[in-house]
Amino acid sequence: MSTELERDQQETGVEVTEDELEALIGDRALRRDDHLNAPGFVIRPDAVQDVLFDLRDEGGFDHLSCLTAQQYEDRYESIYHLKKYADPTQEVSVVVPTSVDDPVSQSAEPAFRTADWHEREAFDLVGIDYEGHPDPRRILLPETWQGHPLSKDYDQEQPQVVTLAEHANPIQPDHHDEESDTMFLNIGPHHPATHGVLHVKTVLDGETVVDIDPDVGYLHRCEEQMCQQGTYRHQIMPYPDRWDYVSAGLLNEWAYARTAEDLADIEVPEYAQIIRTMGAELCRIASHFLALGTFCLDVYGDFNAVFQYSFRDREVVQDILEDLTGQRLMFNYFRLGGVAWDLPEPRDEFIEKTRDFLDELPAKITEYNNLVTGNEIFQVRCNDTGVLQPDVAKDYGCTGPVARASGIDYDLRRDDPYGYYENLEWDVITRQGCDNYARVLCRMEEVEESAKIIDQCLDLLEDWPEDDREIQANVPRTLKPDPDTEVYRAVEGAKGELGIYIRSDGTDKPARFKIRSPCFHNLSALGEISEGDFIPDLIASLGSLDIVLGEVDR
Amino acid sequence: MIEGTLLQAGDTVLLPERIGDLTGLDQFGLAGELLAAFIAAFIIGNLMLAMTGVAGPWAKRKITAAFTDRIAVNRLGPAGLLIIVADSVRLLSKENIIPENADRPAYDLAPIVVASSALLGFAVIPMGSGIHLADPEVGLVFVFAVAGIASLGLVMAGYSSANKYSMLGGLRAVAQNVAYEIPLVVTGMSVVIFTGSLQMSEIVAVQNQPLVDFGLFAIPAWFAIVNPFAFVLFLLANFAEVGRNPFDTPEAPTEIVAGYQTEYSSVYFVLIYLGEFLHIFLGGAIIATIFLGGPAGPGPESIGIVWFIIKIWGVFLLTQWMRSAVPRVRVDQLIEIGWKGLLVLSFANLILTAIIVGIIQ
Repeated sequence: MSTELERDQQETGVEVTEDELEALIGDRALRRDDHLNAPGFVIRPDAVQDVLFDLRDEGGFDHLSCLTAQQYEDRYESIYHLKKYADPTQEVSVVVPTSVDDPVSQSAEPAFRTADWHEREAFDLVGIDYEGHPDPRRILLPETWQGHPLSKDYDQEQPQVVTLAEHANPIQPDHHDEESDTMFLNIGPHHPATHGVLHVKTVLDGETVVDIDPDVGYLHRCEEQMCQQGTYRHQIMPYPDRWDYVSAGLLNEWAYARTAEDLADIEVPEYAQIIRTMGAELCRIASHFLALGTFCLDVYGDFNAVFQYSFRDREVVQDILEDLTGQRLMFNYFRLGGVAWDLPEPRDEFIEKTRDFLDELPAKITEYNNLVTGNEIFQVRCNDTGVLQPDVAKDYGCTGPVARASGIDYDLRRDDPYGYYENLEWDVITRQGCDNYARVLCRMEEVEESAKIIDQCLDLLEDWPEDDREIQANVPRTLKPDPDTEVYRAVEGAKGELGIYIRSDGTDKPARFKIRSPCFHNLSALGEISEGDFIPDLIASLGSLDIVLGEVDR
Repeated sequence: MIEGTLLQAGDTVLLPERIGDLTGLDQFGLAGELLAAFIAAFIIGNLMLAMTGVAGPWAKRKITAAFTDRIAVNRLGPAGLLIIVADSVRLLSKENIIPENADRPAYDLAPIVVASSALLGFAVIPMGSGIHLADPEVGLVFVFAVAGIASLGLVMAGYSSANKYSMLGGLRAVAQNVAYEIPLVVTGMSVVIFTGSLQMSEIVAVQNQPLVDFGLFAIPAWFAIVNPFAFVLFLLANFAEVGRNPFDTPEAPTEIVAGYQTEYSSVYFVLIYLGEFLHIFLGGAIIATIFLGGPAGPGPESIGIVWFIIKIWGVFLLTQWMRSAVPRVRVDQLIEIGWKGLLVLSFANLILTAIIVGIIQ
């Protein structure tokens, strides 16, 4: 079999382990299908579990970062993007082709729990069946939907009748099992604590949560398909702002910028990278403030001061971002190869304003610590509730503050450097608490680290020679990456690892655009962390996961 | 300073008698007395409802806004005061939506029970300036009993709405009230050990004797000063009794939507909210009466009502402050604090008080 392996020495990101990888997968690899970011192995649909188990247990690839499903003319394809939590630059793609007539592939759920939701999504949107999947339902679209929108034979014109799902009718009598005395409760989609349109089907035993089933997709806006219909150069960049729409816009834009720049081999000027780094960290601060405020809303109830305080402080960040980008929410500030424009004039004033904010920040953090995290009732409410064990977190692909609060030392800004991060002094915050309290503290401390980064960026920007302020690389007006190039890249968003997979077909639009949403993974762990807790803890845990439905549903 | 207010407990002229006197109604025998009593009740009821009217749409907003760095209502009238009128019109003109499966008439009665039980309690509260409707010998017990009826209203609301959130809220309300009413009453009883009487006027009168007399001014024997421990206990239990942070679990807006009142709209909603605010004021009135010397304060006795209302609003302010600044405890923690903490402490307080009073006498 090894004679059939097609090798492309050029695009090997992890040369060290590649031979070992080949040895590990051995005969099960039909051929190679390398991606820009990782070596790719094509395997048979009935060997998925086998290969993934081996890669996980022997290769150390313990992070199923993403699953991309797509349809070619002659086949369906599922791509499992694997990484290591210890070193995310070591990647491997497992490509599983299935025939068009009978698209059945083995489920990866036994190896990685996070494959559960991913395969449901692949089935829902592309139409691949996963054999042995524990829960083969649609996930984003309504259960009565006809067809799979991202498959080639999907009829856009076909009228869809979406009936009211019977079991979701809140008026009908309790869902009693004959022998148990549990109660079925719909939390959401309209509920004061679901942070958007999330529907959690809950089974209660008294006040105790026995079972939950998060029902997502209410905010599905076909973001992936819209990106596939936009041109690389300008038309895609506005969309990322709409994924995690609560003030994390620049972080999202960077995910697309990084992926597309890698795909088209664009070098971003250093000066632009510093501006990007600063903007992204400002967004992170704004996002973490919001997370704190809404979490307190869940724990305190309405009319609490912390929510308003956090909005007051976030407002300052928003003003700075508005000065920088011209927008408060949908920034559209990054461009492939740079940013839209330089710092606003007068520069001194902008830098001064940002510095003022940074100077006031420690006092504000102290205030929050006195008011919130130091409060004993708050501690009693949050300590040891919503416990997420590190191995469970890895199984569900949790990233970002959620993983770091469970002691997983994983931050792409440091581990898979991009932008200007590797030249700056800052720390990755981890906490061992694994509970709601740890997640809150983790975010608060990350705000301080972000402030450090911004401060250093400001120093650099201030002293940058005036004639060398290059904000944009030379990028062709129409970008047409080489055909059949595939790349999966991720950045550290406010909520975690925000990844994008792009396959180019030689045109100026992506042939497949797949978004790996951190909230999607973090939310999938909700059941694991809240079953057995009380309703108030379920609500608090949901708040501490800090999900944005715009990003979950895409 | 308060020499003048020193007790004539038994001889207090109650409001109905005074009205009867003034209007000459007392010449008409029983019918006249009844009419006078109705007028008196009407006056007190309206006073309380007016306070609630100011508190609900306006004061609450202004107070929480001050705590949370906002401005709140400021468009209608001076300092936004006319929002009271606008809100009343808005709330009363809304459609009253009643769930199909609601269990009537329990659903309809619940708001009335909630609102009226709290209002009833004010009947025995001496508010100063001669505003005192009735002064039965079991006054304190009467107040606690009447205030306790509100729990019944909450259960009715929770159960009859045919909504699971309401049901959860109703159950939480019962659990909470059972857990906190006992410490509340037991702590109240420690005051009775001092006074030797359940009569409200007597309790107020005892507190107005000077504890330490410095000649020019005297520190009155308010029970908040005599027994601050009991005062704090009572305040805490009262937060649970009126369902405000950190004990607002029956409503718990972000957990169970709005608890027992989820399904209520329009007039019913107003009644339930009215009941809640009246309950806070009644809690304030009880605290003022048994711990803060009732209507006592500097100045002539005739402005007692002013002092009394200030004290009530002080307690109201405190509830709003807690709401802004303190997280809500979880429902199991709430029950635990009630049974394992407050109950034990309140009995300890009762026994200690009894021993101390016994030794002194």
